[in-house]
Amino acid sequence: MLITKEELNYMKYLKINDNKGYYLKLNEGENNNWIEVDKINKDDLMNLINKALEPDFEMDEYKEEDLGNKAHQIIYRNIHEKFLNLIKEKDRFKDESSSLYRDAIEKYSN
Amino acid sequence: MKKIDLHIHTVSTISDKSFEFSLAKLKEYTEKLEIDCIAITNHNLFDLEQFNQISEALDITVLPGIEINLGKGHLLLISDSDELNDFSSKCRQVQSQITNNEECISVEKLKEIFPNLNKYLLIPHYGKKPTIESDVLNILQEFISTGEVTSIKKFKTYIKEDGKLVPVIFSDFRFYDKLEMFPIRQTYIDLDEISFKGLKSCLFDKKKVFLSKEEGNNFFQATDDGLKLSTGLNVILGERSSGKTYTLNKINKSFDNIKYIKQFSLVQNDEDKFKNLISIREDSVSESYLKEFKYVVEDITKVDKKQNELDFEKYVNSLLKFASENEQADAFSKAVLFSESNFIEKDLSILKELIKSVRYLIENSEYKEIINKHLSIKNLKMLIIELMNNYSKLEELNLKKRWLNDLISNIQNELRIRTARTSVENIEFYDLLLDYEKIKKFSQIVKILKNEKEIHSKEMRGFKIVANSKKYTGAGQLKKRSGKTISFKEAYDFYDEPYTYLTLLKNIALGETEYYKYFVKIEYEILNKYGVPASGGEYSEFNLLDEIDDALKHEMLLIDEPESSFDNLFLKNGVNELIKDISKEIPVVIVTHNNTVGASIQPDYIVYTQKKIVDGKSEYKIFSGYPSDKQLKNNLGETVDNYTTILNCLEAGKDAYNERRTKLYEILEN
Repeated sequence: MLITKEELNYMKYLKINDNKGYYLKLNEGENNNWIEVDKINKDDLMNLINKALEPDFEMDEYKEEDLGNKAHQIIYRNIHEKFLNLIKEKDRFKDESSSLYRDAIEKYSN
Repeated sequence: MKKIDLHIHTVSTISDKSFEFSLAKLKEYTEKLEIDCIAITNHNLFDLEQFNQISEALDITVLPGIEINLGKGHLLLISDSDELNDFSSKCRQVQSQITNNEECISVEKLKEIFPNLNKYLLIPHYGKKPTIESDVLNILQEFISTGEVTSIKKFKTYIKEDGKLVPVIFSDFRFYDKLEMFPIRQTYIDLDEISFKGLKSCLFDKKKVFLSKEEGNNFFQATDDGLKLSTGLNVILGERSSGKTYTLNKINKSFDNIKYIKQFSLVQNDEDKFKNLISIREDSVSESYLKEFKYVVEDITKVDKKQNELDFEKYVNSLLKFASENEQADAFSKAVLFSESNFIEKDLSILKELIKSVRYLIENSEYKEIINKHLSIKNLKMLIIELMNNYSKLEELNLKKRWLNDLISNIQNELRIRTARTSVENIEFYDLLLDYEKIKKFSQIVKILKNEKEIHSKEMRGFKIVANSKKYTGAGQLKKRSGKTISFKEAYDFYDEPYTYLTLLKNIALGETEYYKYFVKIEYEILNKYGVPASGGEYSEFNLLDEIDDALKHEMLLIDEPESSFDNLFLKNGVNELIKDISKEIPVVIVTHNNTVGASIQPDYIVYTQKKIVDGKSEYKIFSGYPSDKQLKNNLGETVDNYTTILNCLEAGKDAYNERRTKLYEILEN
């Protein structure tokens, strides 16, 4: 499924549409497109994780009734929950990441 | 002038190495070294019977004594010979108190056993280990005027310094049959006739205690065959194979803690030796430069990227499989808890740090005024209370989560046993991302580190030592760095990929705490006064100066033919002055054939070794004297002409000297 003009204005990475769950497949150098969540592989998921802490990361909330497909329900719920947990820790990650090896970087950069 | 040695061991006690006492050797010692008075001072005991035997056998004064473990140090307690039975019974009390090497008696006990300490001569280990502690010395100060030291350097320092005890040097020796060399640690006292009272009064007065018989404290006995040397600068001259190095070796064996620079020792592998020397001495520079990197490497060693990838893959596959097996769902796998993921515990380390920091602010007294100018104690206390309340709430929540995670995982295990359906593996995205971030930063740091950089520099005796951090340029360098016979080839192929390189280093037999040393090397360079890298010869010069400089940590400096490795100009300008300075602190003995060293250095004392073949046998003689003396003398009263000796040894004889002077130098000058 191609990305709509509307969707280009914000960065949504997980969405529910027409009883199905989709994730945004990030294609380097090409247009991104929506793929059903049961087709997700580890590289796709890793690409999403790398985006999850960016400020404009968005995803549709999980609602069981919006997803008729049971397999989609399971995958979407699981991934959505994991991203939610990760986003909750965004500030901690920022703090931790910016202080990571700070002494060494400052010392050897001078 | 009398020569005394009041510290002699004749019984092998628990505090000694095992030895069998030889009275004959003790007698030979006192005769050969011309000693006038000795004291028998065994560890924590006095053997009256043996003492009587020794006294009868020797023609000199022998005093009864004991070396007592007093507190943490040792004390010599020496008595007159008039109350031997009383002394012996007191020493038995000491012996009964000290049954092993760790035990000692207190000052109170000492005073209890020897109520009248004034009667004795008390000599503590002073500039000598194990030293009597200063508070013990303070308590006993009215009974103590003398302290035993180990070296000429300490003797000379203490004799000049006000407030120090009168220093004495004794042999502290054990005499046994196979003894090859006698100790030369004795003290001279200005006394006509030996008596206990006379001895006590001399040892009270710094003006009556000396290192040598006739030359005060400017000379000392250097070997047991009568060679005396200046406590300043001595030069040993002599033809080849006349016993110069032999004499130097003998001096070396007679004293402890000597700096001995042997012939040619400085010119082999100058550059390597230099780099080794510097890298050992400057190890702290490298340690301190790489300290932060070491921490990074230790932390990154715990990151297992491969395992993370495997776990991640397992998670994705299990999730997809679990979803696709939806049709096979049974009562067990339908349970919501079957595919429930774990609660994530909140990391409270930052909050903990915050609480600690606020506590610092509250408790700091040094900067209290400044802190309170901006933050009131009341507010700080409110802040810390709120943070602590928050901490305890979150900690409680974490405990609940931990408890629930355990519960969920137990239920999941039970459910999994009963169903054929795949379960979803657990994984924390946060930990995964953080590990990747760590690897990214680690690579960034290694990249910065590999930029060649001067990390430290310092001036040393006209040279500049520069420490540079550099990239390794081959597996061979890594192997050399490790000092092991292991191959770094495979690892080095990935030297530019820090994390992979580290993973491969882990496969090599290296200590885990050593990995950080294999990313960059710290190389030392020596620049001469013109700022360019030093030459081989300059490395040797630097090494010699460094060795000589190091001599001040020792009690004496011996140098064997420095001219064999250096040119005259360097010896005259660089070495002579340094040696002269050092000879003001410790005795220096140089063996030489070279006029720059031998004559230009202006020694305090000259020793000339001579070998003559008499009736087909080698005969060695040692003559000595001041440079200004017309003649040098030996201990048999024989003499040699000083001027001729110096010209023979340093200038290849008078004729050659005159010829060089008149035919060569003057012609060149004109």
